[in-house]
Amino acid sequence: MTLAPRAFLTGLAVLAAALALYPIVGTGYGVRAMLQLFMWIALAGSWNLISGLTGYVSFGHVAFFGAGAYAGAILIAKAGWPWLPAALAGGAAACVLALVIGYPCLRLKGPYFAIAMLGLNEVLRALTSYFEGLTGGGSGLSLPTLHATVPIYYAMALAAAGVTLLTYLIITSRFGLRLMTIREDEVAAEAMGIDTARHKLYAFLLSAAGPGVVGALAARDQGYIEPISVFPLATTITMIVMALFGGKGTVWGPVLGAIVLFVSQEIVWARFPYVHQLLFGAIIAAVVLLMPRGVLGLLQTKYRLPRTL
Amino acid sequence: MNVAVTPTMVGQVVISGILAGALYAMVALGLALIFGVMRVINIAHGPLLMLGAYTTYFLYAGLGLNPYLSVPVSMAVLFVIGALLQRTLVFRVVDAPELSSLLLTFGISIALVNLAQLAFTSDLRAVEYLTGSWGLGPFAFSKTRVLAFVFAAGVTTLAFLLLQRTRLGRAIRATSQSREVAMVCGVNVGRIHTITFGLASALAAAGGALIAVVVAVQPEMGQVWTFKSFLVIVLGGAGNYPGALLGGVLLGLVEQIASLFLTSQLSEVVAYVLLVVVLLVRPTGLLGGRQT
Amino acid sequence: MAAPVLEVDALSKHFGGVAAVAGVSLRLEPGRIYGLIGPNGSGKTTLFNCITGLERRDAGRVLFNGRRIDGLKPFEVARLGIGRTFQIIRVFPELSALENLLVVTDGPLAAARARALELLRFVKLEGLKDEYAGNLSYGQQKLVEFVRVLMRDPTLVLLDEPAAGVNRTLLNDLLDAVRRLRDEGKTILLVEHDMKVVMGLCETVFVLDHGEKIAEGPPGLIQADERVIEAYFGR
Repeated sequence: MTLAPRAFLTGLAVLAAALALYPIVGTGYGVRAMLQLFMWIALAGSWNLISGLTGYVSFGHVAFFGAGAYAGAILIAKAGWPWLPAALAGGAAACVLALVIGYPCLRLKGPYFAIAMLGLNEVLRALTSYFEGLTGGGSGLSLPTLHATVPIYYAMALAAAGVTLLTYLIITSRFGLRLMTIREDEVAAEAMGIDTARHKLYAFLLSAAGPGVVGALAARDQGYIEPISVFPLATTITMIVMALFGGKGTVWGPVLGAIVLFVSQEIVWARFPYVHQLLFGAIIAAVVLLMPRGVLGLLQTKYRLPRTL
Repeated sequence: MNVAVTPTMVGQVVISGILAGALYAMVALGLALIFGVMRVINIAHGPLLMLGAYTTYFLYAGLGLNPYLSVPVSMAVLFVIGALLQRTLVFRVVDAPELSSLLLTFGISIALVNLAQLAFTSDLRAVEYLTGSWGLGPFAFSKTRVLAFVFAAGVTTLAFLLLQRTRLGRAIRATSQSREVAMVCGVNVGRIHTITFGLASALAAAGGALIAVVVAVQPEMGQVWTFKSFLVIVLGGAGNYPGALLGGVLLGLVEQIASLFLTSQLSEVVAYVLLVVVLLVRPTGLLGGRQT
Repeated sequence: MAAPVLEVDALSKHFGGVAAVAGVSLRLEPGRIYGLIGPNGSGKTTLFNCITGLERRDAGRVLFNGRRIDGLKPFEVARLGIGRTFQIIRVFPELSALENLLVVTDGPLAAARARALELLRFVKLEGLKDEYAGNLSYGQQKLVEFVRVLMRDPTLVLLDEPAAGVNRTLLNDLLDAVRRLRDEGKTILLVEHDMKVVMGLCETVFVLDHGEKIAEGPPGLIQADERVIEAYFGR
């Protein structure tokens, strides 16, 4: 079956070329919209790495987005760093946070982990407001003006591609299989000699890098951040609904979910913010009840498609 | 920031902690029941409390009903809502992996909060019924908090009487221990699940009703209660109903004591750190309970 | 007498106020097949759990090849060379049969793959290697679980009710496999309710009742032991 993968890769290459050329022909609005879409792909895909593969639901994943945003913003605003290294530093900061939080929390069984992550959001928001000197507290942090929408577009695109590629590499490796055994039956996995604590931690770290990087990029793009803007529960909710809808545990599921829900959001729901959040809640409930493996997961089971889908 | 701590302060703080603790215990008992009976983690618990608060608000604003009289009304309304939620949605995930119930109740909680936003807007509402405080020797406690304690203690006592003395309560406890055995003994487990969810929602609603006179009522008010209820259960031991009492009081005490030394912002951090520490050190809770 | 592979020394485990395992001591020598029997609730699976680290014992010690392993995490115990199966089959349903075996190994993938295929051939399942384990029949899943335990080439194999729900032909294959493992020098301890299996396979049998070891010896003697009969058929 070498024809299908080759056709697929060619298709991907064409798409990549089209996306690369888009900023030249696209409107300002269009470029920003695509930029946002890439960000969501990176976020949903990252959430998928921990929650989709290991089954440990992270309800506080936006914490990494916010941590990256603040790390990057502080470096740009106070230390004069250029935005690209600052974005990478944001990713690193998020990983450090993941290590600090993950080390104790991943030892907890699934539901307790979820609860611990639920509270993380609020805690970080409180801490950010508290350390005003560094973060500007409630009044937020302003970055020096810079018109860099197009380069950030490319950076976000790379982040999205990177997360998707990372997911593919993990799912096709033994490491990925072991992550899945944690989801399937953690007790049996342990009994078979798999160090589940370490594997969960690695997955958690990997899942924090993406949000950290795009958080810093988003901060640069907005030019201004404050605690409420970078730690909103809505971001976690959106990440989750995108990955769930598209298919958690798959490679392209989060991408599909991000595209479908982001487009619908832009066209229909952004006008009615509470309706759209309400619908997200309903979609989460519906997916869990009717289509727990998401669209792609459903197709995978029904048509015996490979796991790399 | 560090003030000299006097014995009066300590006394004030301890009593305040207990006052708050009863409320935490009552709400958390609801969450404990849902977890104990159905093994479902109800993330929508806070929003249910919020709906109870709104019920009280509207009865007060629309009919002038004394908020303390509306406690049973809020409880009844939310009993029905909770039972409906269980009958239509939650029952499907009772046997599913815990991941499913987590996500489902998460989805429901988002839906409830946003429904409230749409229906009631995010304007802050207040039930200004009672102000001022009662003095007891050197101590002073706000009237609303004392009444909240009285009612919460009352409702919790009734709940425990229900659990310990009635046939329904026995059925609930039996189902918590072992669903299979309960079924064999003739318990209609499906009905018990529905009733339990209803009861738990009623307990949350009572919390909401009582807190409506103290804080501003708005759609997001419940979120922090979900988290704190979990903390109470973790402190007291999952599946251990009397443990919820101890956990509630403990949380109340810890918060009040922390507020002596830290700003209120950081007291949330304290609660969080406490949760993580307890989970790591004694995952079965301070009183010991069932593990998931 | 050879140095024991496993030594359980006065092991106790309580749940609430009830003693699931009360002061049990065992000694397993290498290259033999042992049986662990007793009425339901006598503590057999709990004993397994304490040996493999799934439960933390309240008192007593467990030594594997002379080294203390009580207190180790389950994955550490597994890596030292103890493998176990479960009473209720625990294959990974959304992984294929082959992946179920691969996932357990660390070394070079090619070697692991070769070994996995060899083991699947051993139980005549190589044709189903890419089938999701959750889609296999009960007996097939049992076999997958069995060979999965062998992937790490354990020294001691703990089998929890290997004969449960398995048809006669398959069972004979399974028992032959167990004998072959013994011939390779491995030690096997199995929990079983099927007395024919125990009598036909095991060289020494331990009997538990209410968490205590009440008898130990060759199957013939155990069958006739009064205490054993009482434990099973009531007082």
